Amino acid sequence: MQLTLEFGGGLELLCNSVKIHNVDVDLQSQAGEKLTMKDLLAWVHTNLIKERPEMFMKGDTVRPGVLVLVNDCDWELSGQLDTTLGEKDSVVFISTLHGG
Amino acid sequence: MACSTGTCQSGCYKDNNEEEEQVPKREAANGVTPNGNDIDHHHNLCLKCKVNETIAPPSAAGGGVGDGGRFCADCFRGNLFGKFRFAVTANAMISPSDKVLVAFSGGPSSRVALQFVHEMQHKAQKNFDASRDRSLPVFGVGVAFIDENAIYPACSREFDQSIEEMKLIVSNLAPPRKEFHVAPIGSIYSSDFSDGRDRLKELLNAVSDVTGKEDLLLHLRMLSLQKIALENGYTKLVLGSCTSRIACHVIAATVKGQGYSLAADIQYVDARWEIPIVLPLRDCLTQELNMLCCLDRLETVEAINRPCSGINGLVSSFVKLLQEENPSRECTIVRTAGKLTPFHFNRIPETDDGNAHLASQRRQKKFNLKPNESLPPESFCPICHSPLNNCDLPSFSSFEDDQTSAGIFGASCCPSCRFQIVPKEPSSMVQFYSLLPQPIISRAKDGGCGNQRWLREQIQDCLLSDNEDGT
Amino acid sequence: MQEADVVKPKKNIGAGRQCTICNQRRAALKRPKTLEQICRECFYVVFEEEIHRVIVDNQLFKPGERIAIGASGGKDSTVLAYVLSELNRRHNYELDLFLLSVDEGITGYRDDSLETVKRNEIQYGLPLKVVSYKELYGWTMDEIVKMIGLKNNCTFCGVFRRQALDRGAALLKVDKLATGHNADDIAETVLLNILRGDIARLSRCTSITTGEDGPIPRCKPFKYTYEKEIVMYAYFKRLDYFSTECIYSPNAYRGFAREFIKDLERIRPSAILDIIKSGEDFRISTSTKMPEQGTCERCGYISSQKWCKACILLEGLNRGLPKLGIGRSRGITTDRSNDMKQSNGIKNIQSKQCGTLDF
Repeated sequence: MQLTLEFGGGLELLCNSVKIHNVDVDLQSQAGEKLTMKDLLAWVHTNLIKERPEMFMKGDTVRPGVLVLVNDCDWELSGQLDTTLGEKDSVVFISTLHGG
Repeated sequence: MACSTGTCQSGCYKDNNEEEEQVPKREAANGVTPNGNDIDHHHNLCLKCKVNETIAPPSAAGGGVGDGGRFCADCFRGNLFGKFRFAVTANAMISPSDKVLVAFSGGPSSRVALQFVHEMQHKAQKNFDASRDRSLPVFGVGVAFIDENAIYPACSREFDQSIEEMKLIVSNLAPPRKEFHVAPIGSIYSSDFSDGRDRLKELLNAVSDVTGKEDLLLHLRMLSLQKIALENGYTKLVLGSCTSRIACHVIAATVKGQGYSLAADIQYVDARWEIPIVLPLRDCLTQELNMLCCLDRLETVEAINRPCSGINGLVSSFVKLLQEENPSRECTIVRTAGKLTPFHFNRIPETDDGNAHLASQRRQKKFNLKPNESLPPESFCPICHSPLNNCDLPSFSSFEDDQTSAGIFGASCCPSCRFQIVPKEPSSMVQFYSLLPQPIISRAKDGGCGNQRWLREQIQDCLLSDNEDGT
Repeated sequence: MQEADVVKPKKNIGAGRQCTICNQRRAALKRPKTLEQICRECFYVVFEEEIHRVIVDNQLFKPGERIAIGASGGKDSTVLAYVLSELNRRHNYELDLFLLSVDEGITGYRDDSLETVKRNEIQYGLPLKVVSYKELYGWTMDEIVKMIGLKNNCTFCGVFRRQALDRGAALLKVDKLATGHNADDIAETVLLNILRGDIARLSRCTSITTGEDGPIPRCKPFKYTYEKEIVMYAYFKRLDYFSTECIYSPNAYRGFAREFIKDLERIRPSAILDIIKSGEDFRISTSTKMPEQGTCERCGYISSQKWCKACILLEGLNRGLPKLGIGRSRGITTDRSNDMKQSNGIKNIQSKQCGTLDF
């Protein structure tokens, strides 16, 4: 599945200072089930985050203070971890924790 | 100092006078760091008697034993009891004519409170027996356990066993003999027990916020304790709240927007209740209390397993983390809150009982009792009983459309209770109101809170102006 | 994939939700303050109008005033500069707005963020003034760190920045300085002051305007604005901001208190405003006042002591005794143990200790 992932607000520093990643996620979760944000986070954690993963994740979700937008829409509106993803979707992660 | 002479083994606190006790108290309050300069690193000798080994190596002190890294067992015990006794005498918590009720949960804090109150009573009894004129009566002590089985059900056999263990603990703390009261929390409804239990469950179910539910239960527990105290002629209620617990309350209250009323909750004395509440363990850390239970084999009972979720759970793990990072953090938090201006009811009210007063005056230190400027009587939230800030009094437009007693009740609560306890939807509000126990209802209606009078005046104005508009 | 036909635009659960304000467009975010689900356009309107209300209700500015915006290039000050210039036009505040930046002299950090501020100067048409540590004090942070190491460098930076902003504001002849402190920052400061036992700061830190008795008052138009909304606003508007941590204090923002606030926000978003409310409502007797203000004998800056803190630190640097002035709290002896501890580089409970803002 082709996805566009964007890291901002300082999170790009955790993945080699690259902000935009066009990725192909070939994750088969349960047969027939759609890819969820929960699956994607685990994938990002293993495949994209190069350092200090604790700045990005806490438990199985993003660290509080990291904003997530799926297709430019706050993931709090789409069920957070349960948000399902489709082909060519875009996901943005922005940290609010860096200096003002 | 008695202890420096090297005769520390014999429970030195019994001979100490209060001045000596203040020294360790100050140190603890200022938060001496475990590796501070004043600790002799070469031998782990007790800082006070300089003879015996410390309970724990100094390096372990940061790991949660408080003064255990600085004192030997006897000095540790003496120091802890000293903090208790200083709190009691400096704030005139207990006078000889008092009958005090100790709230006992089975946990270490209230266990130590019970132990210390007993030791104090025991000593007073010995003095009484030895004295010729017998002019100083000995204060009475009772113990209360609030059974929350209705809310947090435990296996009934285990529960019965816990009650038996507690009975045994209390009966072993004699002489003097202490009465033990066990009351189910449902008994705040004066009707029969099983009915109360169901109503209570329904009441809690009407609260949707997890934290609100926990806090409401806390307020109901206080009502139950007050009820027991009132019905059995007690004059003071002793709680085992320790520094750690109070530090959590400081943060939690701040987070819940209760900054105004916070100062009322964290003083040694809180006499806004019918039976004044006293907190003699306010200066003791939970680690120290646990340590004492360990050292002296004070039996504790795990009778209630209260969940701590939501805001309260988050706050206690935060405070725990801070305390691990800096062992004086809890003290600092409580000290900060202690600098807030207390309320006029945060002192033992003057009584006309000349005899008792005279007796307690002999011991009492005056400096903590500076009278506050006389203020107009406070208004209180009917649910949590916290004093209301004038600017939080409901704007009367908020119940323009809802003049039912339930609606008016909701409007007279503090903003925090309105947010996390009072249902927002009018029909659930009516149901919630109908399930409230009588003391809360009457608190809202009582002239005792000026708030209610104020509300009524507002309503009157509203009605009048409506009439004028209409005609 | 049959559902794809049913749900038209995208297959997200919330994709179809409509804005609760206009009932027309697709909701784009959930407001932490009100839990409303609103679209981008309505968000811009409520976000800006709320700040306008705060400015009007608290009389932050008077017509004709010259206002400096403390600009670090970070998200808060960038959004503040954008929104203030927008509101100034829309509501005829009649303000002369300026950007004021401090160049601490940190290669690889401040030089980059200053580039952002310079772009903002052009984008928003606001004149920019940069004051540098080098010109004010003769030292860059790079040079200071070379001399004293990484310990305590935040103390120097904090003291110097506070004064640098005042001096820059004086050079611009502005009436007031607006800073980008947001609701999360203020809630955090309330907690930190409780944790440190600093009752004097606790009583001051929730004021929306401070320093009215000093040379240049400061105000915080974002006092009630959630950090989440500021970041969302900057993202949706594609505002150009800089978000790299200071190289000399890389983990300063990983504080317990900040983390706690974010955890709280997750389970109860209103907690942030509740903390601020608590901070405003604390019963602090007015007798615990600030130490008497005089002026520094050396540089003339306001100071409660003979010399101001910056001059003491500077004297230490120039005499090669950089420990001078470190670890001494300002005449308040009660929290010496904590102050010592914190100035010794234990940053755990701190977060924005070395942020670009200071209280």
